[in-house]
Amino acid sequence: MSLLLIALLWLVWTGGTVWRVYKQARYYQIEEYKSGRYARWLLRERSRWLPMHTLAAVGLAVIFSLLGDSVPSDFSALPYTAAIIGAVLAVRPPREAPVKKAFNATDRAKRLLAAAWVLVALAAFGAFALLQAQAFTSDRANAIAHLLGGLGVFLLAPLWLVLGNAVMTPVEAMLRRRFVQKAKGVLKTINPKIIGITGSYGKTTTKHFLRDILNGRYKTYATPKSYNTMMGICLAINTDLADDYSVEYFISEMGAYIPGEIARICELTPPDISIVVEVGPQHLERFGSLENVAIAKYEIIKNLRPDGLGVFNWDNLYVRAMHDKGYPAKRIAVSKTVDPASISDGVPRFVATDIVLTVTGLTFTVHDTQTGASVPFVTPLVGEHNVTNLLLATAVAVHEGMTLEAVAQRVSRLQPAESRLVRQHDERGVLIINDAYSANPVGAKSALEVLGLYQSGRRVLITPGMIELGELHDQENHRLGVLAAQVATDIVLVGAKQTAPIQAGVRSTGFPVDRLHIFDHTQDALAWYRANLTRGDTVLLLNDLPDTYTN
Amino acid sequence: MTNSRKTTIAVLFGGRSVEHDVSIVTAQQLMRAMPDSYHVLPVYISREGKWYTGDALRTLENFKDERITSRPDVQPVLLSPDVRHHGFIVNPLASGWFKKPQVQRVDVLFPAVHGTHGEDGTLQGLFELADIPYVGFATLGSALTNDKIMTKQVLRQAGIRVVDDVHFSRAEWQRDADSTMARIKDMLPYPVFVKPATLGSSIGVGRADNDQLLRASIEVALGFDRRVLVESAVTQSVEINCSVIGYGQELQASVLEQPLSWSDFLAFEDKYLRGSKGMQSQARVIPAPLAPELSAHIQEIAKRAFQAVDGRGITRVDFLVRPEQGEVFLNELNTLPGSLAFYLWEASGVPAGELIDRLVRYAREAYAEKRASVYDYKNALLSVATTSGTKGAKGSKTRA
Repeated sequence: MSLLLIALLWLVWTGGTVWRVYKQARYYQIEEYKSGRYARWLLRERSRWLPMHTLAAVGLAVIFSLLGDSVPSDFSALPYTAAIIGAVLAVRPPREAPVKKAFNATDRAKRLLAAAWVLVALAAFGAFALLQAQAFTSDRANAIAHLLGGLGVFLLAPLWLVLGNAVMTPVEAMLRRRFVQKAKGVLKTINPKIIGITGSYGKTTTKHFLRDILNGRYKTYATPKSYNTMMGICLAINTDLADDYSVEYFISEMGAYIPGEIARICELTPPDISIVVEVGPQHLERFGSLENVAIAKYEIIKNLRPDGLGVFNWDNLYVRAMHDKGYPAKRIAVSKTVDPASISDGVPRFVATDIVLTVTGLTFTVHDTQTGASVPFVTPLVGEHNVTNLLLATAVAVHEGMTLEAVAQRVSRLQPAESRLVRQHDERGVLIINDAYSANPVGAKSALEVLGLYQSGRRVLITPGMIELGELHDQENHRLGVLAAQVATDIVLVGAKQTAPIQAGVRSTGFPVDRLHIFDHTQDALAWYRANLTRGDTVLLLNDLPDTYTN
Repeated sequence: MTNSRKTTIAVLFGGRSVEHDVSIVTAQQLMRAMPDSYHVLPVYISREGKWYTGDALRTLENFKDERITSRPDVQPVLLSPDVRHHGFIVNPLASGWFKKPQVQRVDVLFPAVHGTHGEDGTLQGLFELADIPYVGFATLGSALTNDKIMTKQVLRQAGIRVVDDVHFSRAEWQRDADSTMARIKDMLPYPVFVKPATLGSSIGVGRADNDQLLRASIEVALGFDRRVLVESAVTQSVEINCSVIGYGQELQASVLEQPLSWSDFLAFEDKYLRGSKGMQSQARVIPAPLAPELSAHIQEIAKRAFQAVDGRGITRVDFLVRPEQGEVFLNELNTLPGSLAFYLWEASGVPAGELIDRLVRYAREAYAEKRASVYDYKNALLSVATTSGTKGAKGSKTRA
């Protein structure tokens, strides 16, 4: 009888652990299956690794069990019953806030879960067998021992996940190698010219601009969204490119979270042309210093063929330094700050002047300082940083045989990339400027400038601030606060703690305090927006945080 | 990709046309002259219109064997109109462990098919669907120059002198041959030439200097085509040919040639098959012995004609010239001249390899220009129709 009840008890714990592992997998996934980052996230709040209601339920169950009979000869059901009820209450998952980024059941995630679940089952059975072997004489001791054993397995759910990942690592590595091999085969068959783009930000936008411009002459494919990792690029090749033999140009965005990553991507997609957009404080906390970021980005130039083309943003000092290293022989620099009259050697080659930002878009003049030609550009895009992105794309297009006029023609029809400064009216007529995808100091400044153009009603900034800027986090967010105070009529911040530097920046300007609104949840901020804004008002949504930062 | 980025060129030849054999000879010359920077994929279209590929098709000798298409190294192939294949599907119907349909991507298509189903725009239509750069005239120019009646109308419009003619259809002739005869005699003095409207070479062409011969020639010509034209013969004239290559504003005319085989009658055998070595051994004088001003004038007309018919790539423009009077009549345009007029271009300082390079470049330019004028125009129609459709459904639900 006792064995049956203990089995039931373990069933509850195991089931609860399986469920908890599944729930935790979402956060592990958001941290890209990096165990260190996941552990740091886990430890940041106690309730994530040591839920209070679980401890309370087990504590109460222990107390009730103690009330049970301790006479060895008689069977007592009370301790077991208390333990089972306690376990049921303990594993009950807490009520969760609605999630913004749901668990993505990829094949890899499924394999990981399966491995973790097997580990859970093994651990549960091992603990059960171990405790059975102790042959406790009283039911009370027996029930409590198994109750606590189960608690241990349950609380260690994150460990099973991490161990599961460790077990699967060689398997995943093998599958990845095969996937990469397949992508290489596809590239070899279709044999397109490869254009690599890197930079702390502006990669995705530049990629989309270049694709739309080049498509006016060549069949051009760009990796979708912001696929910029080895596996993301392989996925794009194996699904999209493998199905389209007509592609002449393949544009690939190459991101770096660690040094060496771009070099590895270049091995898969050796670029004929490389573009470096910006070196900035994005993901600084992972790199340590801007110099390290620059070294990681330079890999895209180092891995060019000697007869390849490098395209550089002259206005960024780190990128200019890359240009000046002198490799490869063919290099084009672009600038929106240099006076073309002062250039005699064709460096930088493409220069934008007379940049005018209006509500309907951007106008500027592009000079080719090598030929002396200059052509006016008009685009429906907003955001001054797009001038640099367009100049970089123009440099490649002209190098590949398009005329400056043809480029200008394509530019006039460009659309902003998905959720990057997209403007649309909501059902009540409030204009929403959406820059929710990724905020960085350069993009944020441009977006605020755009917000400042709207003078018809209230100008509202809603943001949780910028993240992953490392040691520059406070400084850059403070600056954001100052800029916002100059432009916006209302500032809505999400997350009192993490937006402290922005608040300080806003307050330092003497911005009216009653126009600064601080909420802890995105939902509350959106509720404020629904309750307070009407037709004619403009809202800038700046940066959207993953759940790991708000939960 | 340090391995070679060779341009793959498919050379299409043969074809469902009376000029099937000529095309094989042209294609072999072309493939032999192809510079090393290209990888060649031979695509042979049989007399019956079956498509094949395989390296055996690169050797002229192999074509002496009737069963060339059943060799194990020759496989069926299909030019896919689906843009994503950007080329051919080898063994399209194969199924089995060792034989599977395979996509063979190509960069540029080089049609070397003469005449019907080759020079008349039909093949080019398929190329357009496949969205692959191709050498030579596009659909419109091919279809137009393939039709002698339409070509002459367009050339007249462009101020280029052509020989007077009368044209009519088979139905008109059958309904009332006598009045058609009367119309011809009213308009044109004997001797005249009778030509089918769309056939290349000289097949079905007849010369007549009396009524009886004229009627007979018309009957013959109507056996080859639905429409026929009768042209007055240009007496005391010499035939002069000039090739033009180019695209857009970049045009170049070759030196002129004067074929010597011009006699009373343009016999098919005479035009293509004299001697054992095919076309190249045809007797000709290069450059044609004309006054320099007249030569320049002819070259100018050739270039104007090229533009008038929306030409691109290469053509050979054939003229009838009366040197003493300085009169120049444009006779016809060949969008795929035999041997690709290699001999004319070599004499003009453009060796075959360079000629091919330029033709490929023009093909790519034309394709790029096509891309520039096509925009992905996403119509809101579908999404609007879908939303209003849903709304409609909702509405009826609430009413019910």
